[in-house]
Amino acid sequence: MVLLYLFLLIVCSFLALVLQVFIPPLPWLHGAQVLLMPIVMFYGALALPFPATMVLTFCCGLMWDLFSVQVVDSTVEISLGWSIIVYSILGSMMHGFRPLFLRGRWEIHCLMTGIFTSCSLLVEYLFIIFRRHHAVLPPSVWWLTLGAGLVAMLLSPIFYWLLGRLADFVHYEPDAPFFEEIVG
Amino acid sequence: MKPINIVVLTILLVLTVGLLTLGPRRVQAMKGAFLQAVSPFLKTGALVQNQVTTVTTGLKSLDQMERDNQRLLIENKNLKAINLTLRNLEEDNNRLRRALNYRERAVYKLVPARIVTREAGTWLNSFTIDCGKNKGLKPDMPVVTDEGIVGKTTIVSESISEVILITDERLQIAADVEGSREQGVVQGAQLSEVMSPLLALNFLSKEAQLSVGQKVYSSGIGGVFPSGLLIGTVKSTNHRDLDTQALLMPAVDLSEIEDVFVVIGG
Repeated sequence: MVLLYLFLLIVCSFLALVLQVFIPPLPWLHGAQVLLMPIVMFYGALALPFPATMVLTFCCGLMWDLFSVQVVDSTVEISLGWSIIVYSILGSMMHGFRPLFLRGRWEIHCLMTGIFTSCSLLVEYLFIIFRRHHAVLPPSVWWLTLGAGLVAMLLSPIFYWLLGRLADFVHYEPDAPFFEEIVG
Repeated sequence: MKPINIVVLTILLVLTVGLLTLGPRRVQAMKGAFLQAVSPFLKTGALVQNQVTTVTTGLKSLDQMERDNQRLLIENKNLKAINLTLRNLEEDNNRLRRALNYRERAVYKLVPARIVTREAGTWLNSFTIDCGKNKGLKPDMPVVTDEGIVGKTTIVSESISEVILITDERLQIAADVEGSREQGVVQGAQLSEVMSPLLALNFLSKEAQLSVGQKVYSSGIGGVFPSGLLIGTVKSTNHRDLDTQALLMPAVDLSEIEDVFVVIGG
């Protein structure tokens, strides 16, 4: 069941990535973007055991990198793979809140989804300005990172509920022991 | 730590390091293949978005469509006539250039394309268009509208391509200022000025006297953009210690466009 649910979460992450591309930036939030894929990924970090979380963050990082990496004049600004590292670290941190999640709490996780989404965006920005040699953090950058995090935080309860129903549908129990299940 | 965690982490670490060490060509090929694989989803999404927009902006009545059609037919005939005249002038021009031993001006072909998705990320100035190698596109081809330069292609796959916009600071275009001998390099605003739609025209002479509204065109130096394409208009100038910088308003409103042309050939 873990592997099936992991596969479904990877598919959901992909669909969330495709969907978020078509959602225009929010003008009332200084042009902040609606990022859906991190919500699915951070939910997976709570609902899945650690090895499966790492596989999910790897797939999400790879998809995001393949979607956003740019090769201009034979130069790659951010190498393929950086998002995997960032998502793996943030996913591991989120996974630390799993015991609370298994006890049926969700408030702190929604808050952390927002914070971690902002963190991932900010790290991406820092990577780029490091490569372009101008270390500036103007207010517009804070608006874009915190705005995207705020939207992710507000949307996460809906996504958590939907993905929880998906888990029920495939009879996946997040608190079932992982290794024993794999070896039968 | 459990053995299964160590095994999974080791495998993923090796894969990640492998990805981090890939060269630009491999990355370009991988991204091209990925874009091609997801293009059915992206094109379907764009179609749905377009239909939603059409519904929300209101459907036109048949009468209105008929009137629009008539007007466009007349406009089309008009443009065809002008195009024919310009082709003749181009031939004359090339004949005279040959007579003077100048290099012949290349003949360019425009490939129409529709925007599929806009910015892939918060910090990137790019979009994808619905044509690629199947229409003769290659990386580093200019993308324009009837109003001016939009950007250039970067990654081209079979039926979808990525375009970096003129507002991205990595795109540089050699430029001439209308009605003066000033030349410079146009560049998008720095990433830290992420909300700014303005372009910077750098390396003008220290004595440059530009007026607001003066037009700036591509000079053709650099090989990617042919000469004479409108880039933008001067908004303000700033005299610095060694040169003058002008800020330009792009000729094309990048937030509004839906259709573009890729300049191929030449």
